[in-house]
Amino acid sequence: MSTMSTRSAWRALHYSAKRRAFQPSTPYRCFSCANRVQEQKPENDRMTHFGFTNVPEAEKEIRVGAVFSSVAASYDRMNDLMSLGIHRLWKDHFVRSLNPGSCLPALTADQRGWNILDIAGGTGDIAFRMLDHATNVNHDMETRVTISDINADMLAEGRKRSLDTPYYNTSRLDFVEANAEHMPHIPDASVDLYTVVFGIRNFTDKQAALNEAYRVLKPGGVFACMEFSKVDNPILDGIYKRWNFGAIPLIGQVVAGDRDSYQYLVESIERFPSQEEFRGMIQKAGFMIPGQGFENLTGGIAAIHKGIKPIVKA
Amino acid sequence: MSYLARALPKRVLAPSVAQSLRQTRGLSTTTLQTTPSTRTTQLTPRTNQPRQFRHRSYHSDLHARLPDHSYTNSQTAILTSALAHVPTHGFSATALTLGARDAGFLDVSVQLLPRGEFDLILFWLASRRGLLRGKVEEGGLFRRIAAEKGKDVHELSVEERVRGLLLERLRMNADVRDVWQDALAQMSLLANIPLSLTELHALASDILTLSGDDTVDATWYTRRLAVSAIYASAEVVMTRDPTPDLVETAAFVERRFDDRKALADKITGIGQCAGFGWNTAIGLGRSWGLKI
Repeated sequence: MSTMSTRSAWRALHYSAKRRAFQPSTPYRCFSCANRVQEQKPENDRMTHFGFTNVPEAEKEIRVGAVFSSVAASYDRMNDLMSLGIHRLWKDHFVRSLNPGSCLPALTADQRGWNILDIAGGTGDIAFRMLDHATNVNHDMETRVTISDINADMLAEGRKRSLDTPYYNTSRLDFVEANAEHMPHIPDASVDLYTVVFGIRNFTDKQAALNEAYRVLKPGGVFACMEFSKVDNPILDGIYKRWNFGAIPLIGQVVAGDRDSYQYLVESIERFPSQEEFRGMIQKAGFMIPGQGFENLTGGIAAIHKGIKPIVKA
Repeated sequence: MSYLARALPKRVLAPSVAQSLRQTRGLSTTTLQTTPSTRTTQLTPRTNQPRQFRHRSYHSDLHARLPDHSYTNSQTAILTSALAHVPTHGFSATALTLGARDAGFLDVSVQLLPRGEFDLILFWLASRRGLLRGKVEEGGLFRRIAAEKGKDVHELSVEERVRGLLLERLRMNADVRDVWQDALAQMSLLANIPLSLTELHALASDILTLSGDDTVDATWYTRRLAVSAIYASAEVVMTRDPTPDLVETAAFVERRFDDRKALADKITGIGQCAGFGWNTAIGLGRSWGLKI
């Protein structure tokens, strides 16, 4: 039985090898037909990855938009289920380590409070935590957060949630719909702290976003990013991958009724660069890296990256 | 030797020259330092070495000294300005923030120091250690210690030098002694213990090396351990010392050094006693006809 199957397999291989299509060594030279022209893609249509599939750059934004519009309503419940609640600990740790808000009286008027820009923070998870920390821990009533998101549905979710916070309709909280790769409405050197939490993974051009972050930050300002990363322990990694590709799309299907969006989510996590590569990208944008440059959370499932914009001495 | 060195091809030379340099240490270093241009080819492996082995835990006359700390320029700027606020605000986040402001940074820039307050403590320790070394290399410190004892610099024993350096280092803490207990508490946190001990060892090692201690036997370890233990306990005493010039701490250190000497004498005595006993037992056995 087994010998027969191997023989047939061999024959199939052999057969296909014989029938391989002829490949000309010279490029296609027929000028009279339009095949060649049709094959050529337009110049601006560069490809990028959307999960494991490749899509044109222009299309990625739309498709990511569709994903997050579809998950906005069930975002929090899904995060709790997917991370077993750990994402709340990560976010608390992230905010605590940044310690937003000044506990000391400011020397000058323009130093009062921090100007925080929370990118891809549509639902306000990080923004409300930072305002709470500034108010309750550092007794700083001046620190303000601008929530910027490319997705109107996520921002609407955040607006809805802000009704329950004391920051609703105050000057301390602001919502802006913008693309983080290009933010002409934010002046140069105007932001103290730029945060992007579980968002930069979905950006079409991450380096452009980092460069834009560098532009809007004041000298001495901090870029802080929390993102899914690479697990260093092979055993934990095995369990984590199994959970990601086995359980998460299923949970998405059952709870949110949307398998494809959560399939994209886990694929985009897989495609995101490792801690060291991403640190290199932050450095390339011009930031100083404090110490090791990243802090692994839960064995590297998520990592906090930080960069500081250097001060240029006159 | 130098003639041979120039005549032989470079590739063969590098390790063998390094070997011979190590053997004739005093001579070679002086000649190398005075005429670097003629010997640059042999110098290359040596000058590259500090970059390859950044964390060297021994002292050598053949290598350039490692920097006291590994902070970048911006970090050093913040930390140096922050030290000015330590006597009033302690080793705290407040001191760091004020330091960042003084150095022209923002409040948020303290993120540049991932360990926060502990970085400030480590920087204090490392920079004071560097200052101590600077004082010794200037040459004034030992002369002052000798003058206090009414001796010439060359008459100072290693033991006296160690005592002098240790006290000098403790006096550097005089400004921060009121806040030093907080720093000790920070250093004793579980995550901070390894780095604190490394710094303590570096200080003990520096003190002994600067005092001219060149033992290479097992006492290398015990000496460092003893100096570390005396320094660490004296630091605790210092935090409760109300006298202006740390007189009580100095007396404490003297007593501990005497204790150490007494203890060392006891151990030597016990060792000798055990040796005699063993020899007697063997002699007795042999006299009984045992084939030992």
